[in-house]
Amino acid sequence: MSKQRPPEPSEETARQEELDVVSDRRPKLDARKLVTGDVKYTADYEYDFRDVATGKILRSEIAHGDVKSIDIEAAEAMDGVYAVLTPWSEEVPDRPYTSAGQSYPEPSPYDMRVLRETVRYVGDPIAAVAAEDAETAERALERIDVEYEEREPLLDFHRAMDPDAPQLHDPDEVENKQVGHDYERNREMHVEGEIGDVEAAFDAAEERDDAVVVEGEYEAQYQSHCIPEPHATLAYTDEDDRYHLISSTQVPNHVRRQVAQLFDVPIRDVRVTKPALGSGFGGKQSMLLEPVAMALHRATGRPVMVEMTREEEFTAMRFRREAAVELRTAVTEDGEILATEFYALGNSGAYGPHGLTVTAAIGKKPLPVYPRVPNVRFAADAVHTNKPVPGAQRGYGNPQGTWALESHLDEVAHEIGMDPLAFRRKHHAREGDRDEISAITAGEGAAHVIQSCGLEECIERGKEAIGYDDVEQPDDEHRHRGIGMALTKQGSGVAGDELAAAQIKMNEDGSFVLQTGAVDIGSGAESAMARIAAETLGCDLEDIVVEAADTDTTPHDYGAYASSTTYISGNAVKQAAEEAEERLRYWGAKLLDEPAENLETREGEVRSVETGESVTLEEIGYESIYGEDEREHVMGQGSFCTDESPAPYGAQFVDVTVDDRTGEYEINRLVLAIDCGRAIDPGEAEGQVEGAQHMALEYATRDLLDFDEDGRPQVTDFDEYGMPRATDQPPMETILVETHEPSGPFGAKSIGEVPTNPLPPALANAVRQAVGVRVTTLPITPEKIGAKLD
Amino acid sequence: MNVQLTINGEPETFEVTDSDTLLDALRRNGYTGTNRACDDGECGMCRVLVDGDPTEACDVAVAEIEGAAVETIEGLGTQKDLHPIQAAFVDNAAVQCGYCTPGMVMTAKAFLEENPTPTEPEAREAIDDVLCRCTGYEKIVEAVLDAADRMNAERVAADGGSTGDPPESGSIDGGGST
Repeated sequence: MSKQRPPEPSEETARQEELDVVSDRRPKLDARKLVTGDVKYTADYEYDFRDVATGKILRSEIAHGDVKSIDIEAAEAMDGVYAVLTPWSEEVPDRPYTSAGQSYPEPSPYDMRVLRETVRYVGDPIAAVAAEDAETAERALERIDVEYEEREPLLDFHRAMDPDAPQLHDPDEVENKQVGHDYERNREMHVEGEIGDVEAAFDAAEERDDAVVVEGEYEAQYQSHCIPEPHATLAYTDEDDRYHLISSTQVPNHVRRQVAQLFDVPIRDVRVTKPALGSGFGGKQSMLLEPVAMALHRATGRPVMVEMTREEEFTAMRFRREAAVELRTAVTEDGEILATEFYALGNSGAYGPHGLTVTAAIGKKPLPVYPRVPNVRFAADAVHTNKPVPGAQRGYGNPQGTWALESHLDEVAHEIGMDPLAFRRKHHAREGDRDEISAITAGEGAAHVIQSCGLEECIERGKEAIGYDDVEQPDDEHRHRGIGMALTKQGSGVAGDELAAAQIKMNEDGSFVLQTGAVDIGSGAESAMARIAAETLGCDLEDIVVEAADTDTTPHDYGAYASSTTYISGNAVKQAAEEAEERLRYWGAKLLDEPAENLETREGEVRSVETGESVTLEEIGYESIYGEDEREHVMGQGSFCTDESPAPYGAQFVDVTVDDRTGEYEINRLVLAIDCGRAIDPGEAEGQVEGAQHMALEYATRDLLDFDEDGRPQVTDFDEYGMPRATDQPPMETILVETHEPSGPFGAKSIGEVPTNPLPPALANAVRQAVGVRVTTLPITPEKIGAKLD
Repeated sequence: MNVQLTINGEPETFEVTDSDTLLDALRRNGYTGTNRACDDGECGMCRVLVDGDPTEACDVAVAEIEGAAVETIEGLGTQKDLHPIQAAFVDNAAVQCGYCTPGMVMTAKAFLEENPTPTEPEAREAIDDVLCRCTGYEKIVEAVLDAADRMNAERVAADGGSTGDPPESGSIDGGGST
């Protein structure tokens, strides 16, 4: 891959060059631990315990029905089986909850139980076993007899609200119901909102000779996170008689609260520790195994490890949701958008975690790329089916919405004969625009003024890198080359619904311990926090020891989701470091006998900008802790929340060659230019873009999950799923367009999710450019292109 | 039953059952650097070298490889003294969550011993059997190519030639963090 460096230094970049640690390309702090295998993931903790039991889960074999009876006698009688739990066991909480792993009160219905008498998809947990080892536990599962009373399954989400569709949930059994719910029609939620007057604008457009109305329907599929490390939780009681869960979670504090509530134990008696995580992508935001591990632990009195199999990952964990989008846009011949109407139908599958927020995000996240459109209406429904449960996945509704909107706008541009890129340039967000669309419905998102937006530079540099203006056609008359593009944005945290805190304490040798609730899921977040702290404290990256993501020992943090860590947790760390740095200058002033305002901390010293005299941080470390006349532990605290969620932006370009006889296509090149504000860690930021391109390539081109007519999953392993391998990746180029977000730590925004969104529509737009046909359902296959070419 | 193996050059005796895989035996005996990901021989993340060949540890019954020489990630460098392949992965930001990294590094080791001067397509092909979800493979391919350069530089140095610029990571005196 070739990398483009930032452009020639402007005044802004000249200022940035004074940074010592932030934006430096040295490796992340935990890289050596990871590359030697010294790192410990959750499953590695099993070997620290004697008498640890293995937990396994019995799952429903039918898509819809009631469990009439469970015969556990034979399993219980087996040697080496310590406990068998059913929905009726006293150790299993008898109250509804949500697995969503969101802040309190969760914007998700409480519609599930830990073990389930009514089953709503193939994979629903029914019983759990703890045994001396995995083999015994699996044999025990085989000896459990379940008698079902089957009900008709509902598999097509387009049918979910039909009057004759089977009903999944009894509204009387669901608590914390969400806006617009109508369980008799399988509707989990409905939201809608409007800016301006959409109907009047469409009516006016119909009257005009110079305006057209373009409509389109788009569909997006399920996707698995394919997390390398399967979900795992170890539950035990520590020497202080407190519950300790070591768990592969993105949200330790939410898990602690939810487990305490579910088992009716005080929050103070639960500790949740997140070890190294073999990635998450949103899949580990959901609280899936912790309640089962906790119940098995309470039933056996032993430490219990529950670890998922790959088949369970592909069938019973969480997914990106299926969605259908209807779009209608009124536009003038010269490209003025008069009105846009966007309707999203999201398949929530069997249960409702993230149903409201993801389905609403399908419209609310992509639409604000064009914040000056005067009339916008958005409505969404999330409905239930007897299919697996979607949750949070990288992009959070935005990949589905961007797929629809960016395909549709491309078609609008073709309809009026305008270059799709020129058309977008008339409308895309710019600094100073007021974005009201993010707040078009109640809930997540707030109207705000855009303070940083590098979209124009993303387009300019992306366009040049892909060669947009100079497309050479192949000699073969049947092969056609085209370049398609798409724009995207995300947020940096959930606007108005985040909290992160951090603490810094100094060691005698001039180093610091940074205690942060930030949850590193493999992205280098801990090192990003350390870079922010080191830059502020004037020390080196290696002078920061990071302690993170333990509910006992690190300050509160909502966790790793919604692209929040660099911006929200990073701001908390910056606050903490600033407070500690103020104390460093106090001690520097004392030791140098100079006013603190003359001093700066840099390169391991507090130095006078007047005299050039300096004192090392080590001298301050010893003096502040062991001084004769005065002592203090130099510390700092930060606690950050905000209504802001500044958007990172991106411009994607795809270069494709299509055969007009077969629809076979070849992706020649991918270019993605991203404005993430300042890249705190450029190497890791590029890694986020490249990894997201891989995930998006899969979503765009591969037929992923599949189910038979009874709702049984047909894809249960990596080979059947078809995750792209190294040789499947087309050449790709990543361009980091650095802007300065005034509210971000050192100007940073987020980058984790935004690059996941725009590849599928940019590919479809490239195919449209090449051979004139539009694929409207994912994946984009040669068969679909070929059928339209006939 | 007992199985005798050579692990990273040291003789080891593991107590195993018929159904234990090499991965089960390794992890139970302290070699937890090799990670369980699919348990089905499909993803390559648990790859180790068995008599020099890249092998999915989850796909081999340990009882059937009595006497084999097994190399795992623990046999390469340490945090203070990285193997050149590990150093290349560190310096090229080729490690995100790290779960596939041991399988990638061991695959790269076997490959570079066979082909010390690979092209980009050859390096890409070499890691095709190991899945990675975080990186899009870009920086891993770059790391394998960089590792080849580093190992060749070491070979030249061992022959008494000039090494040019020393690698950035590799042996360090201390530092680091949790």
